[in-house]
Amino acid sequence: MVKRRNEHGDEYYDNYNVPADKASTVLEALLYIKENIDQTLSFRYSCRMEICGSCGMEINGRPRMACSTQLASLHSDIIKISPLPHYNVIKDLVVDFDPFFDKYKKVKPYIIRDDDGNYSAEIPQTPEQFNEFKGYAQCIKCGLCMAACPVVGTDENYLGPAPLTALFRYNIDNRDQGIMYRIDIANSDDGTSRCHFAGECTEACPKDVRPSFAIQKLRVQGLKYELKNIMGGKK
Amino acid sequence: MNKTGIAGWFNIKDKGTGYFAFAFQRFSGLVIVIYLYMHLIFLSSLLDGRTTYNSLVQNITYGPFDIFIVMDMLLALVIFYHGANGIRLALNEFGIGLKHHKLFFYAYESISMVLLVLFLYYAYLFLGGH
Ligand code: SF4
Ligand code: FES
Repeated sequence: MVKRRNEHGDEYYDNYNVPADKASTVLEALLYIKENIDQTLSFRYSCRMEICGSCGMEINGRPRMACSTQLASLHSDIIKISPLPHYNVIKDLVVDFDPFFDKYKKVKPYIIRDDDGNYSAEIPQTPEQFNEFKGYAQCIKCGLCMAACPVVGTDENYLGPAPLTALFRYNIDNRDQGIMYRIDIANSDDGTSRCHFAGECTEACPKDVRPSFAIQKLRVQGLKYELKNIMGGKK
Repeated sequence: MNKTGIAGWFNIKDKGTGYFAFAFQRFSGLVIVIYLYMHLIFLSSLLDGRTTYNSLVQNITYGPFDIFIVMDMLLALVIFYHGANGIRLALNEFGIGLKHHKLFFYAYESISMVLLVLFLYYAYLFLGGH
C-alpha cells in the first residue's frame, strides 16, 4: 500500500503487488513498481546504500530508510508506505525538506574560529578529541529523527533532534571556538528546553547518531555555560 | 509543516519504551491538572458554607459502590507514575544514567508501583479496612 498525493492535493492509497523474488528492500520494491506497474509513482533516492539520506519514508508505521529496510525484516506480506510525517508533501512520497535544512542552517553547523580560519600552524586533534564527536558526525541529514519526534509534530519552531545534535557536535569539537554564538540558540525557547526525551529520534536514526543523548548533553552544557556566565565568567 | 497535533503524542503503536514513557507522562500530567482544578472547584463550595459542601460530598459518595474510591486509586496510580518518571527524566536530562534510560524507567516505575501498593494498603487501613 503506497500513499499517493496528486497535484490537486488529493490523498489516497494505491495497492501494488510486487513478486517476492523481485525485491529485497523497500526501495527495490518501489523501483519495481515504477518500472513495471506505475510510472507516475514518485519517490526520492540516490545512493541506495544509506549514505545520501534521501529515501526516508514511513514504512509500516515507522520512519525508515527505504534502501536499507529489508522486506524480510518487516515480517509482513502487506507493507504500508507513506511520506515522512511532519513534512509537507510535494508528491506521493516526496516531501519538502526546506524547513528542516533551514533549521539546520540556524545552528551554525560549521567550525567557527577567532582567527577566521587564518591560522598558520596545523590545529592538532587527538583520537580522543575526535572520538568525542565522531558519533554525532555520522548524521546523513535524512530527517527521520524529525519525523519520529512528537515535539516536532506539534511545535514547528522547535529546532529538532538533528539540528541540535549538529549544534552540540560543533560545540565539542576542539578546533571550534564558536560556542558563544551557538549556546543562546540551544538555550532559546526553540532549543533543548522543548525536548521531553521521548527518545524516538534515537530509535529511528539509521546511523546510530543518538540525537536524544546529544540534546541532554547539550542541555547540561548550556546550563554550565549560563551558570559560568552568571558567576562572572566571560561569555 | 504537516503537524500531527497533540493527538499524535498518544499514538504509541510501534514505538519504543521512551515514547510510551513520554506519552503516558503527558496523559498523567493532564489527568493531574484536571483533577487539581476539579478539586479546587469542589473545595470552593465551602465558600457557600459547610452544608453545601457536606451535601455535595454525600451526593457523590452515595450508593453501594463508591466510584470515587476507584477514581482516587486511579489518581494515585497516575501520580506515582508521573512522579517516578519525572525524577527519572530530571536525572537523565542532567546526563545521569542517559545510556541506561530504559533500565532507569523500568526500575523507577517498579519501585513506584511497589510504593503505590503500600500506599493503597495503608489508605485502606486508614479507611477502616481490616
Ligand atoms: S540524526 Fe540520524 S535520523 Fe536524524 S538526520 Fe541525522 S542520520 Fe538522520
Ligand atoms: S538512497 Fe541514499 S540513503 Fe537511501
